[in-house]
Amino acid sequence: MAQPRLLQLRINGASHHVAAPSHWTLLEVLRYELDLIGTKQGCDKGDCGACTVQVDGHPVLSCLTLACQAQGRAVQTVEGLGFSSPSGCHPLQDAFDRYDAAQCGFCTPGILMSAHAMIERLRRPVTRDEAKEGIAGNLCRCTGYTKIIDAIVDASERVFGEAGAATASGEAVTHG
Amino acid sequence: MLRLPQFGIETPSTVEDAVRLLKTPGARVVAGGTDILPNLKHLLDTPPVLVSLAAVSALREVKVEEGALVIGAAVTLTEVSEHPLVREHAPSLAEAAGLVAGPLHRNMGTLGGNVNLDVRCRYVNQTKFWRDALGGGCLKSEGNVCFVVPKGRNCVAALSADTVPVLVSLDATFDLVGGEAPRSTAAQDYYRADGIHHIVKEPEELMIAIRIPVATTPRRATYTKWSVRRSIDFPLVSAAIRFDLDEDSSHGVITAAKVVVGVLNPRPRVVGRLDDVIGKKLSDPAVARIVSEAVHKQCKPLENVPYEAPYRRSMLRVLTRRAVRGLAR
Amino acid sequence: MADRDTTGEGATPDAGGASAEDTAPRESWQIGASHRKVDAMERMRGVTRYTDDLKLPGLLHCKIKRSPHAHANIVSMDTSKAMAMEGVFAVVTGKDFPIPYGVIPWTPDENALCVEKVCHVGDGVAAVAAADEDTANAAIDLIEVEYEVLPAYYDPQDALAEDAVSINPWSRKGNNLSKDVVLEFGDPDAAIEGADLVVRGDYHFEGTTHAAIEPHCAVASVEPGSGVLTVWSATQVSHYLHRELAKVLEVPAHRIRVIQPPLGGAFGGKSEPFDLEFCVAKLSMMTGRPVKCLYTREEVFYSHRGRHPMKMSYETGFSKDGKITGVASRTFLDGGAYSSFGLVTTYYSGQLLCAPYDFPAYRFHSTRAYTNKPACGPKRGHGSVQPRFAMEIQLDKAAEQLGLDPIDLRRRNHIGSDRATINGLMVGSNGFLDCLGSVERRSGWVTRRPALGYGRGLGIAGSTYISGTNYPIYPNEMPQAAVQICLDRSGRARVFSGANDIGQGSNTMLAVITSEELGLPLEDIRVLSADSDLCPVDLGAYSSRITLMVGNACLDAAKKLRRKVCGAVAKRWEVPRKRVTLAGRRAIDIEDPERNVPLAEAFQWAEADHGLLGETGSYNTPKDRHGSYRGGTIGASPAYSFTAHLAEVDVDDETGVVSVERIWCAHDCGRALSRKIVEGQIEGSSYMGFGEAIMEEHLVDGAHSGVHAGPNLLDYRIPTSVDTPDIEAIIVEAPDAQGPYGAKEAGEGPLHSSIPAIANAIYDAVGVRLDRLPFSPPRVLAAIEERKAREASGELAPHKGNPGDEKRSA
Repeated sequence: MAQPRLLQLRINGASHHVAAPSHWTLLEVLRYELDLIGTKQGCDKGDCGACTVQVDGHPVLSCLTLACQAQGRAVQTVEGLGFSSPSGCHPLQDAFDRYDAAQCGFCTPGILMSAHAMIERLRRPVTRDEAKEGIAGNLCRCTGYTKIIDAIVDASERVFGEAGAATASGEAVTHG
Repeated sequence: MLRLPQFGIETPSTVEDAVRLLKTPGARVVAGGTDILPNLKHLLDTPPVLVSLAAVSALREVKVEEGALVIGAAVTLTEVSEHPLVREHAPSLAEAAGLVAGPLHRNMGTLGGNVNLDVRCRYVNQTKFWRDALGGGCLKSEGNVCFVVPKGRNCVAALSADTVPVLVSLDATFDLVGGEAPRSTAAQDYYRADGIHHIVKEPEELMIAIRIPVATTPRRATYTKWSVRRSIDFPLVSAAIRFDLDEDSSHGVITAAKVVVGVLNPRPRVVGRLDDVIGKKLSDPAVARIVSEAVHKQCKPLENVPYEAPYRRSMLRVLTRRAVRGLAR
Repeated sequence: MADRDTTGEGATPDAGGASAEDTAPRESWQIGASHRKVDAMERMRGVTRYTDDLKLPGLLHCKIKRSPHAHANIVSMDTSKAMAMEGVFAVVTGKDFPIPYGVIPWTPDENALCVEKVCHVGDGVAAVAAADEDTANAAIDLIEVEYEVLPAYYDPQDALAEDAVSINPWSRKGNNLSKDVVLEFGDPDAAIEGADLVVRGDYHFEGTTHAAIEPHCAVASVEPGSGVLTVWSATQVSHYLHRELAKVLEVPAHRIRVIQPPLGGAFGGKSEPFDLEFCVAKLSMMTGRPVKCLYTREEVFYSHRGRHPMKMSYETGFSKDGKITGVASRTFLDGGAYSSFGLVTTYYSGQLLCAPYDFPAYRFHSTRAYTNKPACGPKRGHGSVQPRFAMEIQLDKAAEQLGLDPIDLRRRNHIGSDRATINGLMVGSNGFLDCLGSVERRSGWVTRRPALGYGRGLGIAGSTYISGTNYPIYPNEMPQAAVQICLDRSGRARVFSGANDIGQGSNTMLAVITSEELGLPLEDIRVLSADSDLCPVDLGAYSSRITLMVGNACLDAAKKLRRKVCGAVAKRWEVPRKRVTLAGRRAIDIEDPERNVPLAEAFQWAEADHGLLGETGSYNTPKDRHGSYRGGTIGASPAYSFTAHLAEVDVDDETGVVSVERIWCAHDCGRALSRKIVEGQIEGSSYMGFGEAIMEEHLVDGAHSGVHAGPNLLDYRIPTSVDTPDIEAIIVEAPDAQGPYGAKEAGEGPLHSSIPAIANAIYDAVGVRLDRLPFSPPRVLAAIEERKAREASGELAPHKGNPGDEKRSA
């Protein structure tokens, strides 16, 4: 086994010290060392996007990011997405829930990270085409993307639209 | 999970340190990681050490200097596609960079990485197990045969970088350091017809910048690509087109033309015999015909990537004709 | 049962012993609404533990050594170097698993690891358990295997040749025949001979695979002392896995616990046991340590069980007015190296074609052969997606030749409801005409289709599918589904079900039914599923069975509890039980809604009257809904769903690139228990069919040693968000007496007609028939060029007045 190196990583705002061999990817460190299992592994090599996390706000493939390359950067995973909301749930997650945009949910964390980076970058309601482009690196095998796109557009309107965050969630859907 | 082989890693913060570390025999550069890491997972190489450019901030600049647009080798493809200076001075490069793979790859992958992207082949870019099942690999991996050109002794894996045809078409040069002396190489001379060593850069050299001469005349340029999917895929057909004009209008007269085609073999193909378009107006329908016929005549795709070579050849004709017409609008 | 009776079809199995007041119609408060799924938010927050997310102390990692040969005898194997390696704890080979298994009990023809021979590239031959994955990988490289290479076959007809070497070591039929089915109804030869129009066509459906984003994964652990073996697996059929584990490992089933953690997609690709589950179980038993195996994506492709390649020849007879007079087909199925579900697939390739169209004569002859490829099996729409492609193009050709509108032709052949098909399957409710009408209206078919110019086209297709199979895979008289519900005095319900939620939302479906009956909102209901120690047996997530079967079992249990709760409330209010209803977390007097109590209090009253509130519910299928001939039970289902697809395409006649612009899919699901979930199934099915039509192709390269053409998600392309057309899902409801509240399936049916709808739209656009999948640009372009040559020679008129090559690029 290769000599582990001590890494200092900033993940979801918290500092983590972890020892990992040089050839470990960020994905492996997140999942198997830090137990941040929300980031998924689907294809081994950057073809599916299930492992998408944000590094300094940019969505990237954690399976093709060496863990040591993330040092000194701000890493955000799906586990941290709801941290800014009192409900513990980001408006994107709420919209995905209302639209049933997650079927098996395995690609969902990665898609949320891509979608979140996009709406934070544009900071306005996005079009359906923009939503499609924003998640064009994330494969979903269940949904046909339809409800995912619905949910992203809806969330962007709620966060950045004129009604803004004042709109309550879930009116059209039986919550219970 | 498909595992990476074991290697050491260095994370220098200066070009000087990076160059020093690259002198370790077998050392390889990792920047975005989207090319080298899958190749390492496939055991196409087992370097003892990787030199990461993640902390080398000097390679992330975009500027105009001495009549050239200079892009640091570690600028990401997303940044290249969106940067105002690139869009102003090299719009076809911005276009091509924005068409590389998928958005996640572009957020990670760098222009230097795309320029130095290893050539690809359907018989190469698979796991070691798969290549063993194929019969023990080929010229480019662990074997000594070619599955694309039977009895071929020369690797013909395909140049699959979207930005390369564009950079060649724009007369770009590449700045290299770490060899006996820093040097600058014309993009057109950077690539060789040998898929094993398809670039002239020596292993201990580091590409630090891509330099594109700012056009001194009006210019229209574009990049055209076909892949099965509109995201994630490598190009299966790829061509860059550039016309210099006497005035910036579709009725401008062509003063210079350069057309470069990728995904043929390890080398971008600069299409010759375009003299007939010089002096014609860009809007002249003959221009599209002359260019597309020249491309079709001179470019012969191989069975090194998916989809039949004759089909891809006819696609080259259609796509270049449409691209020229698009420029004339 | 109240809601069944609203269908007006009366006769229902008296599963719950319903009394008079239960059958009084009442308004639904949950059925047909949209719901947040009971388990989606935790998935979106990243805290759900899928199989690879499990953490166990002392976990060892298993890797499987695989054959590099497509067909070879194993001459010798030496595992000593691997065993001697530091960090390696155990090695197993085929000799450790001598008992063959197979998901279909009649065809046990594979071993957990190959014993004497390997049958495809990627066949497993040995496995190791090591301290970490790198060590396990290094160890399998040290296992030395000597092979004697045999001739390999990649085409079913080559494999069936008399002098071919037999592939499957357990095959008893010889000549690489896996299954041969000939069934004839009426006199198809006479019907076709006497027809006004006979359409003949050869079709080739290349195989495709599931490509769930979660790779297969299994973990096993043995409890010291008791010796109970626990296997966590990303499976969609826990019960069949349980049975085969017991058989192969020779461990009594009651000493094995099978748990299916939340699953990252399946689509049929996880519907039988695989080598990894046997290997981790055995290695855990040998080492006393927990062992995990996670497939690489490449291994997922080798495990496959995807859609069978089929070569199909069809003859369809028509009368002048467009009525089908007879259908005859000859089909070769490329089965790959093992049977998998192949016996059923071979039947399904013919049995499921006899609706939604009525025809008086039918013959199908289907032959499945073993080949040296990863085994084919069930993929979403098992066995019938391929022949549906052929069937629906045949209809389109007939409509054109008879000068009929293709939708009209389909209407003329509509089979209707409550009647038997030519092969004796009993169709209950049938909303096919509504499906056709919906897509016709929504797409603007009548006005837009004639107006679309060259290169643009609309295409239609219809289909049907089963809502579960009337007979389980192994013969038994026990229920096909069972659910247990417990009510808690705090006002909560726990639902225990063996059903596998694979992302389709079956846990939510159970919560919706429980909610509807017991008045609890979904968040007060906890569904515990797919744990063999906690839950009643269910047969699994296949053949679109869960909503109908498990839903009925759940309804049965919930109604029993409802009676107890309403009874306890009625007693205290001194009113008849029928005056009490449960909704919105309260028990309410229907005639005096001001009088109501919180459900928790009602539950406490009921618990005081009856003791702990727990009920079981069961469901078994009707056994009188099929023909009385050998094989007549295969394809028999309690209820059939119906679908119509309408696709709009843009075809580039210079490149052959087909852009599917929009898909309208109307699906008769009987009754939508939860609307957005049903829409999601329609959208996902349409998407998957679109991918198969346009780009997907699971190919083994016979010219290159039988390697897979690209066993990864870069080479096996599935559509991205920017490739996928807008999909309009339209729910049609023709409630079926057999389904809970009338519900039928929605998860697989909507895939079938997507592919022929696209093929027919391409014809409408550019006048070429695509008889081979996928409709890749080279293939489409070649067809267009062939047509243009025939147009140029005057043999054909220009399609839609095609103005020629230069028009579209101008």
